Amino acid sequence: MNLQYSGEEIIAADKAAVWKAITDPEWVGRCIPEVVDVTVRDPTHFDAVAKVGVGPVRGNFKFRFELVPGASGDRMDMKISGGGFGSAVDLTAGADVSDAGGGQTKLSWSGQAVARGPVAAVGGRVLDAQAQKLISQTFANVRERLSRR
Amino acid sequence: MSIEATPKGSMGVAMKRKEDPRFLQGKGNYVDDLSFPGMLHMAIVRSPYPHAEIVNIDGSAALKVPGVKAVITGKDLEAAGLGWLPTFHGYDKQMVLAIGKVLFQYQEVAAVFAESRAAAADGAEAVEVEYKPLPVVADPFVAKQDEVLLRPDREAKTNHIYHWEVGDKDKTAQALGAAEKVIKQRIWFPRCHPAPLEPCGCVAQFDTMGRLTFHVTSQAPHVYRTAITIVTGIPEDKIRVISPDIGGGFGNKVPVYPGYVCAIVGALKLGRPVKWIESRTENLTSTGFARDYHMDVEIGARADGTVTALRVSTTADHGAFDAAADPTKYPAGMFGVVTGSYTFPVAHAEVDAYFTNKAPGGIAYRCSFRVTEASYAIERGMDILADELGMDPVELRRKNFVRKDQFPYASALGFTYDSGDYHRTLDVALEKIGYQALLKQQAEKRAKGELMGIGFSTFTEVVGAGPSKHFDILGIKMFDSAEIRIHPTGSGIVRAGTKSQGQGHETTWAQIVAEELGLDPQNIMVEEGDTDTAPYGLGTYASRSTPVAGAAIAMAARRIRERARKIAAHLMEVGEGDVEWKDYKFQVKGVPAKSVTMKEVAFAAYTNPGQNEPGLEATQYYDPPNMTFPHGAYVAVVDVDRETGEVKVRRFLAVDDCGTVINPLIVEGQIHGGLTEGFAIAFMQEIQYDKDGNNLNTNFTDYLVPTSLESPKWETANTVTPSPHHPIGAKGVGESPNVGSPAAFVNAVIDALSPFGVRHIDMPITRDKVWRAIRDSDPAKG
Repeated sequence: MNLQYSGEEIIAADKAAVWKAITDPEWVGRCIPEVVDVTVRDPTHFDAVAKVGVGPVRGNFKFRFELVPGASGDRMDMKISGGGFGSAVDLTAGADVSDAGGGQTKLSWSGQAVARGPVAAVGGRVLDAQAQKLISQTFANVRERLSRR
Repeated sequence: MSIEATPKGSMGVAMKRKEDPRFLQGKGNYVDDLSFPGMLHMAIVRSPYPHAEIVNIDGSAALKVPGVKAVITGKDLEAAGLGWLPTFHGYDKQMVLAIGKVLFQYQEVAAVFAESRAAAADGAEAVEVEYKPLPVVADPFVAKQDEVLLRPDREAKTNHIYHWEVGDKDKTAQALGAAEKVIKQRIWFPRCHPAPLEPCGCVAQFDTMGRLTFHVTSQAPHVYRTAITIVTGIPEDKIRVISPDIGGGFGNKVPVYPGYVCAIVGALKLGRPVKWIESRTENLTSTGFARDYHMDVEIGARADGTVTALRVSTTADHGAFDAAADPTKYPAGMFGVVTGSYTFPVAHAEVDAYFTNKAPGGIAYRCSFRVTEASYAIERGMDILADELGMDPVELRRKNFVRKDQFPYASALGFTYDSGDYHRTLDVALEKIGYQALLKQQAEKRAKGELMGIGFSTFTEVVGAGPSKHFDILGIKMFDSAEIRIHPTGSGIVRAGTKSQGQGHETTWAQIVAEELGLDPQNIMVEEGDTDTAPYGLGTYASRSTPVAGAAIAMAARRIRERARKIAAHLMEVGEGDVEWKDYKFQVKGVPAKSVTMKEVAFAAYTNPGQNEPGLEATQYYDPPNMTFPHGAYVAVVDVDRETGEVKVRRFLAVDDCGTVINPLIVEGQIHGGLTEGFAIAFMQEIQYDKDGNNLNTNFTDYLVPTSLESPKWETANTVTPSPHHPIGAKGVGESPNVGSPAAFVNAVIDALSPFGVRHIDMPITRDKVWRAIRDSDPAKG
């Protein structure tokens, strides 16, 4: 089951501060909603355990993250694979980082998820909303944490 | 209200089921009720990927889960020579646990053994498997292109499994070419699942002498014993298979599943009993599915409706392994019965089967090996032909029926139909349903814009596999067996190679023995399912119990009667030739006053046998000379809401002819159950896969099972045309309603939609499909 999402966040922080944060694996890991544990493996790879609930499938999912920062500093891509309870989820997400003026930064993000197993079986009814929430909440958390600084 | 059978006549009596008090009081004994000291529990790690390479399996975290004792993988089994198991069909093998790659979602990848069921589940969750996804083929028409090869382990480097055909291809083509009318329709019988309420499970335990006792939910315990020997090398005398009470099978419990092999390996490795009970999701996603036949049906006819030729080309989706459990020489089962109840002078049927990244199966779900698919194809095809000819579908059927005087009838596709009276059965149906009044009402409703449909299915089944010259599973001929022992006080026990899963054998087998021997059926105990005690038989599926084992029981009882006759002669001090069996007792010919009952003879057999062999028992193995051919005429009446597409089944009448009826109460119960399944298949059930190979119907919220609230009220009636070759004339009935009803439901809906020019809708006929069909129809007709 393929699912696609996109959105936009305006962050009350300058582009350099945003870039610094989103290239820090520990920092990014802590933006995942309901994250339980983050283990950084190297500067661009980390593992995260997060609570996920999709219909009757609930529990901790383990994810492996790979950060792929663009050389010019205005795009960050992420590859995420993981799962739990016999389900597998592969996600790719990317965000264009641009100056929004007034000391603000714009994150234009899009994501795509492929789900397999019991998670996929609950289908569009529940999964779509949940996956969108997972991805959009992560970027919303990026905004909130940076804007609070 | 049922009537109790007495020693004076048990055949045809609506006796209440002897097993029911046990079940109704919750005192059945199922595999999951079993518990043994030191018993471990097993859980299976399954693949979320439909097609992927296995990069690594790490069980170390699982072994740290409290209570977990062991984790086994495909590599472990392969090292022990247990990596693969043969499918019953005999031409393929199936991975026990995935080796190298997974081929369908929910495939078995590792087995975890633990002190409790919860610990086993936690352990399974902790097993880390790294997969590398491969391209997925979830459609047989894509598989056909061979762009992605799914089974490199096989010699033939193709996804094509087999081509099977029957009939005269050239003459059929000629006849179709010359026909005044030809209809052609792609008809898909979707993938469905038997979904027995009790899922599959087992308990494996070895005693101190290394003998395996294997309790399992099996419809064919004797074949399991042989299969376990073939797979594991454990000598057959060191194996006892016991099928206790079974909560529904419907063909789903015929194949041997990987979980069974894992449980046996675990019990052997850990020296403790191992229980495995699958979940609902595991049952729906990994055990034998049914159907998934894409059938191109062509019927040729004269303008007056006389059929002249039938051609059916089928693409079959078998999933990841060819685990169809069909008899060896019949990869497409009895699909050749696709000519149905009609006198096609020529016909040709072919089936091409393909591997896909879907669960393996193609089992006989409440049908005798692909008979439901065949019946559905021809019954839909005949309705489409009637529509195109502008004929009443009833008249088209009647015109083409095999006539009573044509039996035994040699069909164009090689079967010899034993007996039938199709015209009479249809007439009974028409009268009981009030066809003419319904037609009048339909015309009135149509004039008001209301949608009402009347659908017929006048099917012929082929059941009772079968004659050993044709039918075998794993090389074992499909005979069956019975052993009867009559005790000194006139009670007895009958054991058979069959295994009831709700069919009521404890009652019907007792009735057959009681009828043949003039004893009380309440005192005839029936025992099945224990390979240490019952004679070898091929089990219960494909409506074969009564046609095969039922015959063996009658014949064993007659053997006992012949032995008893000698003892009766001794008791009455006359020559054996002067003794006759009349009115359920032995009497001296011409002297009715001088008689002895079977009960008296039984006592004498143990106390005063004279010069005769003491005791009173017999064993009979029965190899039927032919299959039996039950038939029926079913009528569905539906109302369709043109705004919402909702279909309401207003009436459904099933007139069945299953030959001699042993117990009408049980037959009616069987028909009610099968009609409810047919209703579910027609309107609500499908195992769907998305294009990525995700199974979308993994539980009972997505795979619907009707309750009494959704089910129509069933009306039943019957005619009796005994089978000429069966000792008591019985044919088998359990599967007829599932075989015959889907076409009646669909034909009724299409009839209701005929004002819109709708020609066909594939099952399940959900309200959205009906609504779309109306929306997309020709507005001029609507």
